[in-house]
Amino acid sequence: MRLAYLVKVAGLILWRSWRATLVLSFMVISAVAALVFLSALAVGTNDAMIRNSTGLFSGHIAASMLGESDIPQLKTAGVERVLIRRHQQVLLEKNGLLEPLVLIGVDPEQEQEGTAFWKKTVAGRYPRAGEATLFLSQATAKRLNLMVGDPVSLADPQGVVRKSLTVAGLYKTGITHLDQGMAFCPTTALPAGETELSAAVFLRDGIPPETVVARYRTTLPAATFAAWPEFMPDLKQLIDLDYICMAIVIALVFAIVSVGISCTFLIFTLKNLREHGIMKAMGLLGGDTALLLVTQIGLLTVVAAAVGTLAGIATVAVFAQIGIDIGAFTSHNQYFSVSGMLYPRLTALAVATPPLVAVVFGLAAAIWPIVYIVRKNPADILRSV
Amino acid sequence: MIEIRAVSKQFTSGRGHVAALTDISFTVAQGHGVMLAGRSGSGKTTLLNCLGTLELPDSGAILYHGVDLCTLSPRQRTLFRRTKVGFVFQAGNLLPWLSVAENLQFPLELNGIHGQAQQRRIAELLATFDLAGYEKALPVELSGGESQRIAFARAIAHAPSLLLADEPTASLDSANGRQLIELMFSLCRTNGTTLFIATHDQELLAMAEAIIPLKDGKMENNR
Repeated sequence: MRLAYLVKVAGLILWRSWRATLVLSFMVISAVAALVFLSALAVGTNDAMIRNSTGLFSGHIAASMLGESDIPQLKTAGVERVLIRRHQQVLLEKNGLLEPLVLIGVDPEQEQEGTAFWKKTVAGRYPRAGEATLFLSQATAKRLNLMVGDPVSLADPQGVVRKSLTVAGLYKTGITHLDQGMAFCPTTALPAGETELSAAVFLRDGIPPETVVARYRTTLPAATFAAWPEFMPDLKQLIDLDYICMAIVIALVFAIVSVGISCTFLIFTLKNLREHGIMKAMGLLGGDTALLLVTQIGLLTVVAAAVGTLAGIATVAVFAQIGIDIGAFTSHNQYFSVSGMLYPRLTALAVATPPLVAVVFGLAAAIWPIVYIVRKNPADILRSV
Repeated sequence: MIEIRAVSKQFTSGRGHVAALTDISFTVAQGHGVMLAGRSGSGKTTLLNCLGTLELPDSGAILYHGVDLCTLSPRQRTLFRRTKVGFVFQAGNLLPWLSVAENLQFPLELNGIHGQAQQRRIAELLATFDLAGYEKALPVELSGGESQRIAFARAIAHAPSLLLADEPTASLDSANGRQLIELMFSLCRTNGTTLFIATHDQELLAMAEAIIPLKDGKMENNR
């Protein structure tokens, strides 16, 4: 029998049994739409964690061992912002108490524009350009009994006092490596002496850090570069875990949905059992019967998956605009240290996976009804119905 | 020619073994019309099913132009039904999702009749059965008489050499029933189709060329 004719008959069966078709389609549409949205939400959650983690201080790429002449070469294609930082080992001294730390000289205006670190101020304020002020962690201030407005001496590692600065503000990020062992001041306030140059590189949306790092390593072989997955392996693992969980959810949802589709499709097929018996009696071969049923469920799942995908995309579009605020649940989470807003984002994988899985599982769901009908003798069908 | 030799068939059910057919033998020449007469449960439908290869007898042989249909593989039996047999079931049994024209198209598609030849044949059938204008109607929109006429048209669409009708007038009034049976005999005679009609309607039996009376799966004296 011609395939085109079988497709036509399958289409007519679906079209003219529209109530049953609608019920079957609704299951697929809702499952696909929900999974497109969940996939986009998973991507959006990962985006938020990356945005929060890199946007607080580090940027997407951390560059170190830089020379002054290297700085202009950091601004290549895909790079949105480069923040230059100068590091110096110092001893902080107050009333005989000493605290060794790395003092980081920054451009306060650019830092405030490019990072969210200044938002972590718990007392005082962030230093201003040209001031001889210091921005240090609340934990360090507590150990040295320092308060905002207090003067503090900076000594070199040998204990020789080189400069005195005033505490402009205190911060607390909740992230250990930022809350311990470092303090910030405007570059102009750094004591005279040798400094080490580093940079935080911020990339435009969608630019993979690995490609930019590879380019840097070619053009600046003496410097050291690390993309965020290298210096934040915990975040990388968390994101990988998120994707694995999402894949498991998709497989589970469709396994359940396919059982539902299979049962409903079997009922749908049994409702037409006599007609299948008549077609077999008229000479429809078992293979043709199987092909007719596969075409039926194939058409149904393809159309329903397409509608479900569009519904999912529309939902994502709405929430991508307004965002989802989960700030109440992330206040103590270091991966959401800047903002608890999630913006679902569609990727090719997030759009393509749910409908593809729906079609595969839908076709798998057709196996049971097909085996049942094909094995049935037409005389038994006509006698029993 | 179709020859039935000592065909027996029994079913197993909750009531134990039930003999549906016992030692049935007869011969019908090509182009003749025969009525299988008997009450409900007499074995008419089982005999039609065996003639149409929908089921196999437990013993005996069914020879169609010398070929024993019982020795065919399931696929060969399906292809035999497709090309050689037309069925008219009780209450029409049209495919509900297909229009009248699409129902007539089905056996033609099965038999590889496409395109203009297919369209010509459908138009010819609709005209023969006085159903022109019904092409797009769905079975649910037809009366019982119209449904049976379409079912008959569908059964002979591919010009089968064997037509099997199981209580084709069961859902019709006597006038429509008589008309349909007359049409069946007339068209089968014209086309040289061998016709078997199973019925228990005494009025219709009076129209028969030949009758095979069945009772409890056995043949009584035939006419």
